[in-house]
Amino acid sequence: MESAVQVERAGINLKPGGRVSDDTALQTPVEAGKTVGIIAVDDPIFSCRDVDVFYGEKHAIKKVGIDIARNQVLAMIGPSGCGKSTFLRCLNRMNDTIAGARVEGKILLDGKDIHDKRRDVVQLRARVGMVFQKPNPFPKSIYENVAYGPRIHGLAGDRVELDEIVHGSLQRAGLWEEVKDRLQQPGTSLSGGQQQRLCIARTIAVNPEVILMDEPCSALDPIATARIEDLMEELRQSYAIVIVTHSMQQAARVSQRTAYFHLGDLIEVGETDRIFTNPRHKLTEDYITGRFG
Amino acid sequence: MALTLEGHTTRAFDGDLSSLHVQAVAMGALVIEQVQLAVSSYSNWDRPAATLVLERERKINLYDAEIEEAALQLIARRQPVAQDLRAVFAIDKVVSELERAADEAKKLALAVLADSEANGFRPGAATAREARQLGRLAALMIRAALEAFDRLDPAAAAAVIKQDQEMDAEYAAALRRILTRAMEDVRHIQAAIEAAFIMRSLERIGDHARNIARHVGFIGGDIDPNATGVLPETSAVKN
Repeated sequence: MESAVQVERAGINLKPGGRVSDDTALQTPVEAGKTVGIIAVDDPIFSCRDVDVFYGEKHAIKKVGIDIARNQVLAMIGPSGCGKSTFLRCLNRMNDTIAGARVEGKILLDGKDIHDKRRDVVQLRARVGMVFQKPNPFPKSIYENVAYGPRIHGLAGDRVELDEIVHGSLQRAGLWEEVKDRLQQPGTSLSGGQQQRLCIARTIAVNPEVILMDEPCSALDPIATARIEDLMEELRQSYAIVIVTHSMQQAARVSQRTAYFHLGDLIEVGETDRIFTNPRHKLTEDYITGRFG
Repeated sequence: MALTLEGHTTRAFDGDLSSLHVQAVAMGALVIEQVQLAVSSYSNWDRPAATLVLERERKINLYDAEIEEAALQLIARRQPVAQDLRAVFAIDKVVSELERAADEAKKLALAVLADSEANGFRPGAATAREARQLGRLAALMIRAALEAFDRLDPAAAAAVIKQDQEMDAEYAAALRRILTRAMEDVRHIQAAIEAAFIMRSLERIGDHARNIARHVGFIGGDIDPNATGVLPETSAVKN
């Protein structure tokens, strides 16, 4: 298990208790790496320290350090271009696919560096699944959308086992009752909200440990959004969830911890209860109260 | 963090929040006048003044209802968070404190009007002096709390909270004097009880001023479980 002590041993400067900076009411923009709030958690699934991301010359993420807890939803908020999606994509090495992108620093999944040369990226992305802004089902049947991952990862011995995985995943994604009689129809025949839940079922079918969600509800209506949010609350009993959202209300509703990004800096991180009632950094306050820019 | 209710990207939000604040301050100004008039009606045994206090009470209740409605609308439409949320919450509480302070003032006016021909509980010169003194202090505290609230100034609010100790001491002293006079002449006991209730009302007005000051601290981020005044000081659970 990764702990703060091990992170320290890995040569990363973390003060006892992980309290990097606890100043109240900092008035000036934060220095890179000086996040307000407690970045460390007990027994984290992810432990990130001094993470920098460059897109060519552009320094998109600056010395970001944060732990991600198990069985919790972490919401990442901030204005457009603040780096929250970039940081999310670091967690399953999706930035590798972008030409000119360079990631530095330590990102430990269960204590092991995800940038280790021996690491199988396909395996990593199975453990750290992702749900995108626009539902993107494969142009295949509902059944095949969910069965595809377990099949390529060899998770099912036979058809019966595969059926069980598909059934279980659709059920956990709250979609089974709506699709059980039309599993052979194309995934694209479903409504937007159903498609997004199908994508979630597809993600959880390969037994991930973490689910990354990049604005998963921004293309959905309020009812479909409510269903996804409800689902997140259930899913967090089994997985860690990291969500990037532009909706402050959504961050407040679904998360237990909130991180605020600004121009590539992680400005503040804290319990959601506190961030939305009594944030410590002026930039966080200005952003969440709509006084920004 | 400097306290401000303005600066939102949506200017209409600034307008809604400021208007809520301004209305609460205007209600406060009326309550100060109400306290002063009630004290004067009691100490001078002035029935027309007491009648005016009762008439104005309706206006205060109207403010209370209007501000509450505006606060509800603001929460429903704007979903305020952080300092804005604390401000809306605190404004609503300040308005409740003002309304209760006005209720205490009303009790003085009712005492004057309850007295018909009998003239039984009309305060003597000493009691009238005590009422004037406590009343002056109560009005000063409400004014100071309201100024702190108007300027959103937690430091000024802290000073009001301290002032409440002075009020408590004055109240205790006034009660002792009333008791002494009652003991000197048992025929004054009923009047003394009435006078003690009046002093109690004035002391309560001071408590409401103190609570208003605590709500100003709350807007500034001082989230203290005692801020509501619900818990006694001894069971303070400060973070």
